Amino acid sequence: MGMVRFDAYTLLLQGDGLFDFLDGLSTNLVSQSCTTVFTDRTAKIIDVCEIIAIDSRVALVGYAPNKENVVHHLSERLLGRPITITDISHLNHVYIGTGDDETPENATVHQSHFGILYVVSTTSDYTASWDMDSWNEHRIEHCIPFHGHEITSRVHPLACGLGDLVHPNKGCYIGQEILTRMRSRGKQGHRLEVRDNPTDNVTTLGSTRSLCIVRDQ
Amino acid sequence: MDCGTCESASPLQVHLPDEVDVELTMTEKATSMLNDAFGDDRSHALLVGVLSGGCSGYMYDLQIVESTETPCQELNINGFRVLVPKASSHLLNGIEIDYVDRLMGGGFKINNPNASSSCGCGESFA
Repeated sequence: MGMVRFDAYTLLLQGDGLFDFLDGLSTNLVSQSCTTVFTDRTAKIIDVCEIIAIDSRVALVGYAPNKENVVHHLSERLLGRPITITDISHLNHVYIGTGDDETPENATVHQSHFGILYVVSTTSDYTASWDMDSWNEHRIEHCIPFHGHEITSRVHPLACGLGDLVHPNKGCYIGQEILTRMRSRGKQGHRLEVRDNPTDNVTTLGSTRSLCIVRDQ
Repeated sequence: MDCGTCESASPLQVHLPDEVDVELTMTEKATSMLNDAFGDDRSHALLVGVLSGGCSGYMYDLQIVESTETPCQELNINGFRVLVPKASSHLLNGIEIDYVDRLMGGGFKINNPNASSSCGCGESFA
């Protein structure tokens, strides 16, 4: 087993009521460190983020290409709240894996929905033990969706295997009405599956099997 | 994790919307209900604010307060002190405060010309 470098951004949030603020804007119950999904009004994914509590602050780790959208999404809704957002992406590398490798020195370790996540200072000379192909094979074996493959702005969290991150009764958040309606009617449109090759609708191609987002029957 | 220092990582400059001079109106029904709530005591004010969250992204927040530390615009509407936080003035300009009298889903209601959509319960808007 191993660990791969994750193309991530890291934002540091400081201020009052951080969990409350993030909880009101995302699908999972945010009352401690967790993984959650920021969705728009149509329940499409803006980003899937790791919420990492560090003393009174919160680190928000997400997929680098989504950074600007997340910063805009959050800052638009600060509305005078005493919260500051600092971009510390250039100071840290992020790794994700199975948790079997030796923990990098001075790493912040976080239990993510996708595996064990490590945030490591860029001054560390740590190198990942896996390349992307190895990570993808691991994901296919365990039906784990990931950024840029299954997780895109074109899908909602239920369609790409992130149902565990959609809390069933936490209350209102952006996109909640749509996701709740899909669940209550048992109609989510699409779902994530592992299929033997060759197959259609592939989102991650593996050596013998692939991850696919398929339409519900 | 390296959390940085002021030199290596300063806070992002987030875009703050311009403050606008808020104009708002209140229906007769809402005025009557506020009269019942306030009585003769006009030392308190009605705080009309916006919070992030809700199904559509923003939620209305109505409170009766004596004072607030939040920087606000102070208006006099139908004899009531109304406070509107400056940070949400762009979302509240032109609203009408109404009161809906029914058993379910009744209470104060905001009609907002700035809202492009709102959720079923009427408390959240975008």
